[in-house]
Amino acid sequence: MMRRPGGELATRPLHFIWIADCSGSMSQDGKIQALNTAIREAIPHMQKVADENPNAQVLVRAIKFSNGAQWHISQPTPVADFRWTDLEAEGVTDMGKAFSMVAEQLKIPPMTDRALPPVLVLISDGQPTDDYQKGLQELLDQPWGKKAVRIAIAIGADADLDVLQKFIGNPEITPLQANNPEALVKYIRWVSTVVLKSASAPASQSAADAPTAPNVPVPVAPPAVDANGPQTAADVW
Amino acid sequence: MATMGPQPIWRAVGQSVRGATHVRAAMPNQDAWRCLPESAEGPPLIVAVSDGHGSARSFRSHIGSAQAVDIAVGVLRELLEGQPQPLNLSAVKRTAEERLPGEIVRRWQEAVEQERREHPFTEAELQALTQRHGPKAVEDLEKNPRLAYGATLLVVLAAESFILYLQLGDGDILTVSESGEVARPLPDDTRLFADQTTSLCIPEAWRDFRIRFQALTGAPPALILLSTDGYANSFVNETAFLQVGGDIWDLLRAQGLEQVQASLVGWLTEASEKGSGDDITLALLCRTELLPAPEELAAQAALAESPIAPEEPPAPDESVAPPGNRRLWYDDPDFDEESSAPACSEAS
Repeated sequence: MMRRPGGELATRPLHFIWIADCSGSMSQDGKIQALNTAIREAIPHMQKVADENPNAQVLVRAIKFSNGAQWHISQPTPVADFRWTDLEAEGVTDMGKAFSMVAEQLKIPPMTDRALPPVLVLISDGQPTDDYQKGLQELLDQPWGKKAVRIAIAIGADADLDVLQKFIGNPEITPLQANNPEALVKYIRWVSTVVLKSASAPASQSAADAPTAPNVPVPVAPPAVDANGPQTAADVW
Repeated sequence: MATMGPQPIWRAVGQSVRGATHVRAAMPNQDAWRCLPESAEGPPLIVAVSDGHGSARSFRSHIGSAQAVDIAVGVLRELLEGQPQPLNLSAVKRTAEERLPGEIVRRWQEAVEQERREHPFTEAELQALTQRHGPKAVEDLEKNPRLAYGATLLVVLAAESFILYLQLGDGDILTVSESGEVARPLPDDTRLFADQTTSLCIPEAWRDFRIRFQALTGAPPALILLSTDGYANSFVNETAFLQVGGDIWDLLRAQGLEQVQASLVGWLTEASEKGSGDDITLALLCRTELLPAPEELAAQAALAESPIAPEEPPAPDESVAPPGNRRLWYDDPDFDEESSAPACSEAS
């Protein structure tokens, strides 16, 4: 065969970003430990899903917010090399600052327009203490912020579901309510596998589906517990 | 209108490969391409490429893309057939810009609705759609059944005195000059982002066509490439993709059209496997009078295989000859010109 025309070939990058609440309330009742455990346990499953679709290059990073916000894992890290460093909790809930910082990273550049839609996973147990709407607007002003698959996990009964729903921005997807460590593990695993798999398969669709249809089909989330009703004896948060 | 230099002799080749992710997911190749006349030689020469949407909502898009290319080459042939000789380029340009998109969309929508009447959606198809996208997706489909067939469309018509480019949705049309300069003949459409595209299945799809009518007052391009978006998405960036145009032109001149044609399947398969994973279709319209004669190719020791046959100027093709009293769509007094004017077009 003749030499192949064109420059370097490359799979399409898929940025997966954890946006984690590290405010003081996350230190109560073992929430932050449960979050660290859940993400750490999900990594091998995430790697397996990524292996099944070699045409998507899954790149993971994490940002934390409490007093301000800070990249916890700043480099987009190939999922095969991704290792979790434990988060610690203290301070307030400057969620808006985290949104602003994520928005900066979703600009083109550094993002490329040939990427797959990013996956943003917001995990929070409380109410924002800063102007979250400003940060959220900055995020949604970015083409990739708007097109991102945005999932939110509420830890405990004090999480502000309205804020999380605004972050999701799609009435067909609601925040996942985790009231105990088992539920948190289940949801983190679901996001890391089922949602990641859906986002990593390129599938064009007509603009006729917009704006109501999600750009990436988000499958139905599993129930947190098998019991009926939102509250069970297993709930600790 | 006279062209500069020798009369262009166009020939088309193309290839479509099933994407690596489609192979893993047991999905069909949802792309399609066609050229007319079947000899793939012109002028006139018409080439169409279509990409059926990969979304589970468009579960019959492989049918939609096949119908799109068949209809597009047919409509463009009729455009040529109905023209008086010598051509009035202004009239051709006006007809192309004002009526072609509407006619292509109308015929495609009729064709897919006919297909659906003959083969109604099955329980299995609707069940799969519900599982993947929920019951609302089925409601959306009931409102607009054409969603199941959604596809893009790229078309080039190379005639003696003009070239016409049309595009609806994502994908790429590139031109390459004789000196190897690569250009895009159509403007960008910023709405095409994150795998979302304009489509034939949208109710007023004709508004979304991009069109360029290029009267050949100077040298026409040496090479025109049409590709589905899976190809550009397989390269690390735009520069790496645009390099394809110049590289293929160099290869054509060094090794000939048939060698390039034989290599397409390997190139595209590799691009899908190492790149986007999507179906990839690439069609080329090449001016063969600019390529080396077979004896020149044969003289090159490293390129001894399969020199191309000498090209003769084509005889007038009866398939595009004026059809006499045949009734054509743009002669139809019921055709609604006002509602068919494209909102977004460019002409030179």
